[in-house]
Amino acid sequence: MEKMLLHLNVNDQDYEIYINPKTLLVEAIRDHIELTGTKRGCDTVSCGACTVIVDGIAVKACSVLAVQAEGTKIMTSEGLEKNGKLAPIQKAFLDEGAFQCGFCTSGMLMSSVAFLNESKNPTEKEIRDGIEGNICRCTGYNSIVRAIDAVAKGKYTEDNA
Amino acid sequence: MNKYTVINPHEPFRVINTHVHNVDGWAKITGRATYTFDVKLPGMLYGKILRSPHPHAKIRGIDFTKALQLDGVKAVVTGKDTLGVKQGIWRRYKDLCDEQILPVEKVRYIGEPVAAVAATTEEIAEKALDLIEVDYEVLPAVFEPLDAIKKGAPEIHDGFERNISVTRHIEWGEVEEGFEESEYIREDWFRCGGQAHMCMETRCAVSSYTPDKKLTIYSSNQSPYYMQGLMAGVLNMREGDIRVLSPYVGGGFGGKFELDGAIFCSAILSMKLYKPVKIVYTREEDFIATKRRTPMFYYTRTGVKKDGTFCAREAKVFTNGGAYTGMGATALYLTGFFHSFPYIWKGYRYDGYRVYTNTLPSTSMRGFGAPQAMWCSEQQIEWIAADLGLDPIEMRRKNSHKEGTILPGQATIASCGIDQCYDEITKWIKGKGKLPANRSIGISACGFMSGGIFNWFDSPYSFSSAVVTINQDGTVELHVGAQDIGQGSNTTMAIICAETLGVKVEDIKVHSGDTDNCPPDLGAWGSRQTLMSGNAVKMASEQAKKQLLEFAYAQSGLNIVYDLDIKDRWVHAIARPERGEDFVALVRKALRGKDGQKIVGRGYYTPHRKGMISPAYSYMLQGVEVEVDEETGKITLMDSMTAHDCGQPINHLGLIGQLEGAFSMAAGYGYLEYMPYEDGKLMNPNLVDYKMIRAPEMPPANIAEIDTYEPEGPYGAKEAGEGLTNPTAAAIGNALFHRFGIQMKECPVRPEMVVNALREKKAKEQAEKK
Amino acid sequence: MISDFTYLKPGSMKEALQMLKEHEDECKVICGGQSLLVIMRQGLVSPEYVIDIKRLEDANYLTYDAKDGLKIGATCTHRTIEHSAMIKEKYPALEAMEEKLASIQVRNWGTIAGNLAHGDPAGDPAPVLIAMGGSVKLGSTKGERVIPLDEFYPDLFETVMDHDELIVEVQVPPRPAKSATKYQKFNLLESDMGLIGVAVTVTMDGDKCKDARVVLGSAAPTVIRAKEAEQVLIGATLDDTVFEKAGEAAAAECEPVADIHASEEYRRHLIKVLTKRMAKAAWEQAKISG
Repeated sequence: MEKMLLHLNVNDQDYEIYINPKTLLVEAIRDHIELTGTKRGCDTVSCGACTVIVDGIAVKACSVLAVQAEGTKIMTSEGLEKNGKLAPIQKAFLDEGAFQCGFCTSGMLMSSVAFLNESKNPTEKEIRDGIEGNICRCTGYNSIVRAIDAVAKGKYTEDNA
Repeated sequence: MNKYTVINPHEPFRVINTHVHNVDGWAKITGRATYTFDVKLPGMLYGKILRSPHPHAKIRGIDFTKALQLDGVKAVVTGKDTLGVKQGIWRRYKDLCDEQILPVEKVRYIGEPVAAVAATTEEIAEKALDLIEVDYEVLPAVFEPLDAIKKGAPEIHDGFERNISVTRHIEWGEVEEGFEESEYIREDWFRCGGQAHMCMETRCAVSSYTPDKKLTIYSSNQSPYYMQGLMAGVLNMREGDIRVLSPYVGGGFGGKFELDGAIFCSAILSMKLYKPVKIVYTREEDFIATKRRTPMFYYTRTGVKKDGTFCAREAKVFTNGGAYTGMGATALYLTGFFHSFPYIWKGYRYDGYRVYTNTLPSTSMRGFGAPQAMWCSEQQIEWIAADLGLDPIEMRRKNSHKEGTILPGQATIASCGIDQCYDEITKWIKGKGKLPANRSIGISACGFMSGGIFNWFDSPYSFSSAVVTINQDGTVELHVGAQDIGQGSNTTMAIICAETLGVKVEDIKVHSGDTDNCPPDLGAWGSRQTLMSGNAVKMASEQAKKQLLEFAYAQSGLNIVYDLDIKDRWVHAIARPERGEDFVALVRKALRGKDGQKIVGRGYYTPHRKGMISPAYSYMLQGVEVEVDEETGKITLMDSMTAHDCGQPINHLGLIGQLEGAFSMAAGYGYLEYMPYEDGKLMNPNLVDYKMIRAPEMPPANIAEIDTYEPEGPYGAKEAGEGLTNPTAAAIGNALFHRFGIQMKECPVRPEMVVNALREKKAKEQAEKK
Repeated sequence: MISDFTYLKPGSMKEALQMLKEHEDECKVICGGQSLLVIMRQGLVSPEYVIDIKRLEDANYLTYDAKDGLKIGATCTHRTIEHSAMIKEKYPALEAMEEKLASIQVRNWGTIAGNLAHGDPAGDPAPVLIAMGGSVKLGSTKGERVIPLDEFYPDLFETVMDHDELIVEVQVPPRPAKSATKYQKFNLLESDMGLIGVAVTVTMDGDKCKDARVVLGSAAPTVIRAKEAEQVLIGATLDDTVFEKAGEAAAAECEPVADIHASEEYRRHLIKVLTKRMAKAAWEQAKISG
């Protein structure tokens, strides 16, 4: 199968890659652009470990063709920090211990960021629904919910993070 | 959201039990942590495994000529390419070493590896699998332990009569007398399901064999030392010629410290090709071909006095061992031991039988046989209390272990906070007041080990070791063999080191997960590392500190009755803390004093004369508030409180995370994580059909930490996080019992089972009326 | 593993339909791909050509007028429907259904049209849309035709679409006065598809039920209308006894499968309970609605 040229913008950087059209976005990010923060944990669009942000919305990169993401702005966990400064959600995750093995964490962070961008003053139930697409086998979720809640309540800003 | 309180806290430490960030946090939250899943080496090939479609069959021949002809395929290996060594984690007992990974003669479960392919891409390797022809002679198979022990059942391993591979007998006290004294005896049968570890990172490994005859293996596992030892055994290599690296591990939960197809097949392929080979299990493979929690049939007979004093218990258990032994032998013992917990019995007897069947082998999983034990014990105890009209909490309390309790021939309880656990749960239940009509609370007690005393791996090394090296700028290299699989052991060890040395956690750099550079350690299982590896770290740190202080004492001219100490990087006289010097200044002096050699401290720990199970035990009591839709049987968890004694908490954030995480896994075992097999085939090997708690299902997990002091543990610490996997299923069952009077004998409890139980109860009541 | 395919990206719906005609027996249309990529990965389908309509902005619309009702374009995502103030006001049952469909990530990229084309009897949109009298407009180079959704599924995972057709629009008539739709699925986890699902629409005339639809998901090879249950409700003065009877009728007239999640008997039991509950809930909402 002839490969096609694809331009992807990931974390504000442009990449040019050659891919088989059937390449999934998660494969393009991990194997071609070699950003391995985004993980894969299943084959049924269930676990959410591959969650990235495309034009501001959270998607599971295992069920998006890479070619469909051309012309969009993609953000992965590697793109959260700016010049060595952690994003508010990252600081909150550190403070709450909202990760353990860390394998789900990149996807969880991206779901959290997308959720926070869309929700003002979320209730606890809304936060839980906001990350229901992401499985964590280690934490039992409550520390993650506390972290998101803290960011939503303004405890962390870009400045003091 | 959650509430976390500490009851009777000890004097505050500088680092221990303070709010310390996970030392691996930066890497994990910035997407920079490289897992085995991410490893890419130059020239790396990709491997895939062909698996048996039959539960029991002879391998008459394997023809892979067509596969080799596929463009991009570099090699195909089968059992014939191996030494055929039967290995097992119970190395000391050869008859329990029964697994070849790539079998030579026959397959014993659906999903067992039969061949492996290495190719330039994963896709080509996968296509090649279809081109391998295996000539099987299908044999009769058996799937349930109670069928496998019958006369005439197919023999799964030669020489194992009635397919019984392991038996265990535990007995103490006077069992028959205990029953004679009993005024009420109850016996029940239970069925405990299996459970999948469901680590977020599936099993994976990258093996690289190089022309100098050395093997490097990246592996997602819980014990690099075990992997090294086991691989040396199956490859007939020296341990020192094998390097195992576990960089970051995406979860283990007891399922990743045995050899598996990923590590074994990638190594065999690499040894053939002298190229790195990576094998990553798909989620489906992870479900069907990595060992699961041991399903069990439990018979338990308990005798008590009418006032609720426990007299005697005898239990007989048949476990579904599946096709190979693995760690299942340990689970067989521990389930029987913890089935007595946390109570004092006049007489206790347990007989366990591990039975081979043609299903996925069962092994250790967080809780190690205790969740099954408590599902049965804690529910039966609740029913006994109800039968006798006694308060279930008070009945438990008066029979519970205390500090100093001796379980004859088995264990001495040196610290025990369970009495206060009963206080806290009673308070919590009272505080809830009257519950809505569709809700009820169930409780469950338990205790758990802080690492095992057994050396079935036959290691000549200390169970845990650590090396502390102090650099000239005051930074500290801490080398441990303890493996961080997400539970935070790197952080816990750094905390212990920092506290002991008197520096800060950010001064410590933890080295782990590399057999070339880290001392041996049995690894992360049985909740052993905080106590055992922690003790080694404490000893190494104390040794380093002592060497440093020698120089401080020498120059200080202190009277012999005065002591120096180090706190917050400040070396000072305890009596006059304002007089002292900076830690780094002392380090530099010591360096010169030692001819330019860095201060190095070595520590180690192996439990000696600590009974048959563990040097120390955690205790807990958990209450779960459950809402049930009576018409549909749907179970929703609304709230929970766990009163928990882990001695001295070390890693505050880690502890909370462990308790909350254990709850989600334990609750899943109680009401969600159903693993149905039909004729040896797992029916739900994916995350759509295998149900696990997600954020909306997780209730608050309130914690009351009972502070006790365990003399055997570093700073009084004992385990946390595995014991908590034990009570929840039973607590859920007890909640159902309290609301409806139904007695659930099988877990996980699914809504249909609740509806059926209610229907049966109603029918029985109507029949009795007539 | 997904098989190789030639990727086609039409610039307009017209071009998409032409491509579809040209490759009709060996292609699949992808938009969100939330279902398609899964079955491609499992090897259940291996199209030679994949026609990507994701970027057809003209097809991304969600409009309403009082006369023709709701029109949802082919590339309109679940999330757009979920967040639409118009939907919340005019078709609250649709919003409620979307909120509980899969997870946010799936709703962000997947489309309701794509979901309907996939034809999973456990899917959420079909029962709700059928209960509301919804239809799909199919487009091809031959022209367009509108099919009521309760005639759209002849068999499991099958639709009546010809190979050169695709869903260009989903249509829902305006909600009649004093009418409400309620939908619930029974699942163990909130993000799951249902073991069974029931959607009920009740339209009142005074204190009698003028019209009703009872639609069952995961209760047969396709989403079905429980017409006997509907007849129990239509013309009746609704009360708990009637709802109970409707539930029993629905339970009797469906053909649920037995699988690892539930026996046939339990599924029927759930159909009975949920039909009763949804009929009552729809009635309570219909009474107070305009």
